Amino acid sequence: MDAAAPKPKENMGEPLPRIDARLKVTGQAHYPADLPTANIAYGALATSSIAKGRVTKLHLDDARAVPGLLDIVTYGDMDKFERPKFGNTGATSIGPLHDRTIFHDGQIIALAVAETFEAAEEAAQLIRADYEEEKPTASFDSPGTKTIPAAGKSPLFKEDVKAGDFEAAYAAAPVKIDQRYSTPTQHHNPIELFSTTAMWEGDRLIVHEPSQNVTGWKVELARQLKIDPARVRIVSPYIGGAFGSKGPMTTRTAIVAVAAKRLGRPVRCVTSRMQAFGTQTYRAETRHRIRIGAGKDGRITAFAHEGWEVTSRPDAYVVGGTSATGRMYDYGSVLTHVSLVQADRNTPGYMRSPPETPYVYALENAMDEMAVALGMDPVEFRRINEPKTEPIGKKPFSSRSLIQCYEQAADAFGWAKRDPKVGAMRDGDWLIGMGCATAIYPTAAAPCAARVRLTVDGGVRVQCSSHEIGTGVRTVAAQMAAERLGAGIDKVEVEMGDSSLPPAPVSGGSISTASVCSAVLKACDAIRTKLFAAATGEGSSLAGSHNEELDVRGGKIVAKSGASAKVEDVFKTMQVGAIEEYAEFAPKSATPQALKKLYAGQPEFHGGESDEESVKYAFGAEFVEVRVNSYTKEIRVPRIVGAFAAGRIMNTRTARSQLMGGMIWGIGQALHEATEVDRRYARYVNRDLQDYLVPVNADIKDLQVILVPEVDHAVNPAGVKGLGELGNVGTAAAVASAVYHATGKRIRDLPIRIEQLIT
Amino acid sequence: MSQPSALPATDLNRRSFMTGTVSAVAAVPLLGSPAKAETAGRSDTGPREPAVTSLRINKQPYELSLDPRTSLLDALRDHAGLTGTKKGCDHGQCGACTVLVDGKRVLSCLSFAVMNGGKEVTTIEGLSSTDGVLHPMQQAFVDHDAFQCGYCTPGQIMSAIGCVNEGHAGSEDDIREFMSGNICRCAAYPNIVAAIIQARDETKGA
Amino acid sequence: MRPFVYEQPTNISAAVALASRFTNSDDAPTRANAQFIAGATNLADYMKLGVAQPDRLVDLNRLAEPALRQIRITDDGIRFGALVRMGEAADNSEVKRRYPVVAGSLKLAASGQIRNMASLAGNVLQRTRCEYFRETSWPCNKRVPGSGCAAMEGFNRQHAVLGASDACIATYHGDFAQALIALDAVVHAEGSRGARKIPFAKLHRRPGDTPHIETDLAADEIITAIEVPAIPWARRSLYLKIRDRESYAFALASAAVALDLDGDKVREARIALGGVATVPWRARTAEQALQDKALDEASAKAAAEAAFADAEPRRDNAFKIELGKRTLVRALLETRDMKV
Repeated sequence: MDAAAPKPKENMGEPLPRIDARLKVTGQAHYPADLPTANIAYGALATSSIAKGRVTKLHLDDARAVPGLLDIVTYGDMDKFERPKFGNTGATSIGPLHDRTIFHDGQIIALAVAETFEAAEEAAQLIRADYEEEKPTASFDSPGTKTIPAAGKSPLFKEDVKAGDFEAAYAAAPVKIDQRYSTPTQHHNPIELFSTTAMWEGDRLIVHEPSQNVTGWKVELARQLKIDPARVRIVSPYIGGAFGSKGPMTTRTAIVAVAAKRLGRPVRCVTSRMQAFGTQTYRAETRHRIRIGAGKDGRITAFAHEGWEVTSRPDAYVVGGTSATGRMYDYGSVLTHVSLVQADRNTPGYMRSPPETPYVYALENAMDEMAVALGMDPVEFRRINEPKTEPIGKKPFSSRSLIQCYEQAADAFGWAKRDPKVGAMRDGDWLIGMGCATAIYPTAAAPCAARVRLTVDGGVRVQCSSHEIGTGVRTVAAQMAAERLGAGIDKVEVEMGDSSLPPAPVSGGSISTASVCSAVLKACDAIRTKLFAAATGEGSSLAGSHNEELDVRGGKIVAKSGASAKVEDVFKTMQVGAIEEYAEFAPKSATPQALKKLYAGQPEFHGGESDEESVKYAFGAEFVEVRVNSYTKEIRVPRIVGAFAAGRIMNTRTARSQLMGGMIWGIGQALHEATEVDRRYARYVNRDLQDYLVPVNADIKDLQVILVPEVDHAVNPAGVKGLGELGNVGTAAAVASAVYHATGKRIRDLPIRIEQLIT
Repeated sequence: MSQPSALPATDLNRRSFMTGTVSAVAAVPLLGSPAKAETAGRSDTGPREPAVTSLRINKQPYELSLDPRTSLLDALRDHAGLTGTKKGCDHGQCGACTVLVDGKRVLSCLSFAVMNGGKEVTTIEGLSSTDGVLHPMQQAFVDHDAFQCGYCTPGQIMSAIGCVNEGHAGSEDDIREFMSGNICRCAAYPNIVAAIIQARDETKGA
Repeated sequence: MRPFVYEQPTNISAAVALASRFTNSDDAPTRANAQFIAGATNLADYMKLGVAQPDRLVDLNRLAEPALRQIRITDDGIRFGALVRMGEAADNSEVKRRYPVVAGSLKLAASGQIRNMASLAGNVLQRTRCEYFRETSWPCNKRVPGSGCAAMEGFNRQHAVLGASDACIATYHGDFAQALIALDAVVHAEGSRGARKIPFAKLHRRPGDTPHIETDLAADEIITAIEVPAIPWARRSLYLKIRDRESYAFALASAAVALDLDGDKVREARIALGGVATVPWRARTAEQALQDKALDEASAKAAAEAAFADAEPRRDNAFKIELGKRTLVRALLETRDMKV
């Protein structure tokens, strides 16, 4: 069996190929900007070239003179609509065309609409603005920042967690470190460009746009346009990579919808890659101070994690990863504090494992420093600080297989062959370093609805408005239905990515598989109940059997006794051609309003640290080998091994691919990714894929993913922990530790580049 | 509107270009008729005159009336209705728009359509046979899960076919190097390499 | 993008005549109304960005002269037709055998697709990738003469430490040109004032006060061929490129090195540096420093010191001086150790 399709172990599903694979390799999977639309007009954005001030005048004459120009939407044109809102569904509260204030570089100042893409681009480039410019504040250390506490600013970040008396324990600790770490601005850069295609059919609006949250967007867009949400439909059947960037709706969507209304024609606006840096969200730059104190035996007695994060002036976006880092190990005492630093920037947002990527990077780099300070093997250091309960609320973990992950990954990696001495391992001119780190991601789920139909010919249709962003959610939903209804996978069709389907939560926070599969499971079980009721009726071959003795397999209802009845015959008995069930799943701890909120596009997340009886996390351990050239200091990662435990694995193939992609993201975060800010002007400089580097094929050589079996019935009915965001947590710290092992240089500021090693 | 309607094979209406009804109606496979000679020198015309470009796409002749600024990528997507080829950066930095022109892999976003008069363009839509059997490279991408979101996949597959045809798929390291012009943000790279090896070995034997 | 008229001349003189008719004789080629296009990989990019704004494109791909598409190997060396694509030249077995530095510089440039598109002549003429040059809302003396340079005090990690001026610190990012300048290549050009040969070292101009004038070419002049002289000992040559990732990235520093060795003694060294200078950069002082010396780590380091003696760092690119030196040292030692 090839590497892409790992053999399932306990509590793992078959590595079935994606059910949409054929569409994807033939060019027939239609992404939102692919959908043909008659009589389409093209839109192009004009954006600000300053970060702070006011637009005093717009020069539109040159743009209007472009043949084929149809309309320009700009100041005044959005006045009768509502401003955007910052929150779960809205990327920012800045309504760029609602007034002339400029809050950040690259803010939309106009939308040019023309007969052709070329004319629209030409016109947009000809739009010029006069500004009343103010000196902007770029980031940390710039004059004019305002620092505020983060706790309570976001519903997802309520408090600075703490436990015990950190100060006393730290003061008394015989071995301690006190270090600072930082991570840069990063942009998601999915390969699919951001786009909006808006079309009106009478008073109904259809928007084709790549989205991780069609239900939320439907409601928010309707609010902005002051129309009934029932008249808005968001269509997003395939999404070309998202990573959080397509979760919150940005301000472009309503502007394009207004343009389409004014023209009475469909309008498509594909944002250029350069413009995406200012019009979409991004991962905020963060700074950290970490203090760890321990006894000489390596037992941690004190842990403090302070974080600082950049956000925009109007919106308090919180990264806030101390909730996870504060619960990672058996610390004794914990002190945390997170601050927001407001600057003249666009509002940051969720990017793949939003809190954990930067915060766990800092923690795990510090853990390695601490192991060095203790003279202890870094794996052993984690082992002896493995907690029985989490240190903040003293709740148990619903399951925690971190040590198994470390053992299996270390074994596969050959950790035992590592010479712990710095600079001791070498291959010719290349210094070899090895490092490891922990991955953690909270397991949550949200309310979700699904409709499943079983037809007499054995066909199954699953409908759910969740989003296929590449995770394979279509495939695992099909697998769930196929398993529960005893159908072949080829008999299952799955419709997703359309707000007219049963609502699903935002595809973020690694909740989709758990939430969607739990809803599909519930709908399938309702179908089973109906089938079983009919099949066990008086006079039938299964009469008297109880439901728990029955299963559906290969078109038959089968009893433990061996007796069976054809599903086809049961349909005859019922005198129906199809059974369709609509199910709503809500996590156990959901509030009474949870389902209502789902339909309103405001899904409640439950799980992680918030549940009463236990905390819920998925864990992993990652090991990397780096090579650093002894002359020129370029850094490569030729080998990486990760072992992960995440409850039930629905499909080992798609699970491995997600984790692999995450690990490679982690390598990129360690060595490549950074959006550079020109600090004089608070403007992004490297706004394209030529200068914003991500790993390419040649950067990745030997990569191994180990799926560690784990059973966890407490997390959700499907027993599934998410893993889309687990793989890239910790990787950068493992690389930093390996670079230290190779060179003796501890790099604390990401990305790790030649210049940090060469001087 | 979740699936495209069949594209009508109408005669080219030049005015349709200037009036903007481009996307759905400008696809003009001239079935059975030979492609016309490519555009000649145009010294006495103005810059806003549409240029008529004849080329073959997936073995079908097309005659497209285009703004000379139209990239080959936009011509394929917006004017020929072949949206399998993807726009990921529009500046030659990601490889998502890779197609074969006269058998060689190129970036369709960096080529003006008018420069391709008389050439044979192959896109992802032109790979599988009419009876639906996938090209060995397509099948290998399915077998090895060589994608996640699927957006860069048409470009990866076209590039992979070009890479094998060029003789640059001899070793895993060669494949990695010569496939580095195709960025996969989902990072399916190891699976892409495995897929190319499978397809290379299959087509070698064929 | 500004609209343009598209022209497809079928021979060199027609192409020259077209360009001549629509440009002024003193126009810088990069600012001329009529501009030549071949592979399109650089010009189309800059036209989309609004950086280049020709209103007439003269496509050279239909030129009938066969020599434009040929690689000819003679006793005098190798003659590359201007329209030969980078990928074809990189794969040519004689180029790989006789001039590993040339083949290496081509193979390590760009991506497979771009190498299939880009012509050799177009490649040597590629314009800088400076971020402030690429984005039209920044001041840039190269794009808009006299507007200022945003990179000078801005984010300048990838900028040049050699050959810069007060007007411009943009790096020349090409790789092939480093091999050509090291091997004393000659460029053949044809324009309305006739045909001429330009030593490669004279093709590019340092920015000085006129960074928008990038080469010695007139706006109606076409490169027709690039000739690399026969240098038997160039079999001992290589191109070393250091970059942030393993492939498809511009050089932070690179070195093109060819060595004529007598045992471990240097009879002649050819050295060019990439990623660190505003133009293709021949490091003649480093070559002289090695002349008649035994090549070891110490002499290589001395040569590297000489190469960067005049380097001027900015805020973010100071590391390039040390990296450039180390790149050269490593390249020299690896070239010495080649089995030829």
